[in-house]
Amino acid sequence: MVLLMLSKEEVLKIAQLARLELSPEEVVFFQNRLGRVLDYMKELNGVKLEAAATVRHVPEDAEPFREDVVEEAFDREAIMRNAPALDEGGFSLPAILESE
Amino acid sequence: MSSLHSLDIQSLLAGYQKNDFSVQEVAKSCLEAISKKNPQLNALLEVSKDRVLARAAELDQKKSDAQRLKLFGVPIAIKDNILVKDWQCTAGSKILQGYRSPYTATTVARLEAEGAVVLGKANCDEFAMGSSNESSAFGPCRNPWDLERVPGGSSGGSAAAVAGSLCPAALGSDTGGSIRQPASLCGLVGIKPSYGRVSRFGAIAYASSLDQVGPLGKTVWDSARVLEVISGWDRFDATTSKAPVPSYSDALKESTLKGLKFGFCKSWLEGVDPAVQKAFENSMQLLKQAGAEIVEIDLPYTKYSLSVYYLIAPSEASSNLARYDGVHYGFRAPEFKDSETLYNRSRGQGFGKEVKLRIMLGTYALSAGYYDAFYLKATQVRKMIQQDFSNAFKKCDAVLTPTSPSTAFKLGEKSDDPLKMYLSDVFTLPVNLAGLPAVSIPCGLDDLRLPIGLQIIGRPFDELRLLQMARVHESLFGVLKHP
Repeated sequence: MVLLMLSKEEVLKIAQLARLELSPEEVVFFQNRLGRVLDYMKELNGVKLEAAATVRHVPEDAEPFREDVVEEAFDREAIMRNAPALDEGGFSLPAILESE
Repeated sequence: MSSLHSLDIQSLLAGYQKNDFSVQEVAKSCLEAISKKNPQLNALLEVSKDRVLARAAELDQKKSDAQRLKLFGVPIAIKDNILVKDWQCTAGSKILQGYRSPYTATTVARLEAEGAVVLGKANCDEFAMGSSNESSAFGPCRNPWDLERVPGGSSGGSAAAVAGSLCPAALGSDTGGSIRQPASLCGLVGIKPSYGRVSRFGAIAYASSLDQVGPLGKTVWDSARVLEVISGWDRFDATTSKAPVPSYSDALKESTLKGLKFGFCKSWLEGVDPAVQKAFENSMQLLKQAGAEIVEIDLPYTKYSLSVYYLIAPSEASSNLARYDGVHYGFRAPEFKDSETLYNRSRGQGFGKEVKLRIMLGTYALSAGYYDAFYLKATQVRKMIQQDFSNAFKKCDAVLTPTSPSTAFKLGEKSDDPLKMYLSDVFTLPVNLAGLPAVSIPCGLDDLRLPIGLQIIGRPFDELRLLQMARVHESLFGVLKHP
């Protein structure tokens, strides 16, 4: 696989997937930086693997299961206080579906 | 007693036992040091005098607890990506400006249960992404050893607060070297625990398979004491281990190197500053004199650590940072016409450049058509790096490396090229990828009198022996006199 310098369109595509609005200057900036880093990572293409395996990083004795018990949760008000805008005690954002 | 703020934990605890001073006196001394030095250092982003003094007064009321509690009256700075109820938590980002923690992280709750005083929130690279503290949205932090230079990162504020004697210890977080590299650049003892040793509950996630919270202190004993308090299973973090937590600080009395083998990798020293190389070789001599054996080892896949790390960590970050959307927390862009623009604009304006770069790197590595070549390949090479270490540990009990290839660099010196900056973590990254514990301890000063760090990497959950090794080195090398 040959890595090419990313085009502006590709940078904008990635930014859109990542939900990031970029200024025209930033597009050029990230085009260079992403290109520089991805180019370095080309070294991985040639790595010979003895056996394809992926990583298990959770300790052997960690127990991901527990009883499902209803408990006191966080203070709702303390959590909502951090929202930039509230509407009747809920998070506020513009309408997602247009009304008729 | 104007110098109480520069005492280490062990001396503070001894002083409380003998009734030499009160917690309020210590707290006031730290607050004075902060008002004097923090404007220059920018190590602490939030200090609440009222809360600190109230807590100190509360502890002075329970003087008898000084015997029982492991960190009675010890002021500790907390990296600003770890939650403390009612304190701000910005992770060094504009997108979380004004955020107040609704709960306390397990690590901090455990510190407080043992009598510690939360002193302030420490500056850091934005979302812990950086090696110089320059990516903080709230201005860079400076190295107390030389104010023109960086303290390292991302736990730069934590390191500068301790090295600048604003407090005796701090909590940091380490995803690729973010505790050890600043510890090295500031002449401190910094511990990156085994993955699963310390709870991540309440620590703002950067890369969840790599992140660990850990201590920075002036001595091995101090860092060991903080580590034993924060370690152990936590019902709120399913990746924590149930392995019992030994009393690391008490076990230091039995430190010995007799019969132990240290491995080192010759090829790792290529490209390292001559002063760092000299200090490293001197440390190997010290350890040999103390009865250890030094053996050469080979870690063939670790040379790919930088590429592997900068695919895996950004991939996890791109997912973890999706929650900052301008709706739930902190910053929201002032102008938008629909929810799509609200997200894109809030994130575009709220995140700094390094964070955006890493989110995009991760998004790219996980996107259709590139997943196999980038993300999957990186996880496979990560496995090989883990195997490198397990093979090495058949021949030795611990691995020695310099912590960082150079001493503290100047502000702005490495910010034009991301790879130059990334390379300052070349010795620390493999440790996170393999989930191992490691400690950075001071091992010298260069010609400019800037600290040099030695990294000792241990077997999984072998922190006890790792710290005993560090203690022997410290007893031979000594403790640095901080500026």
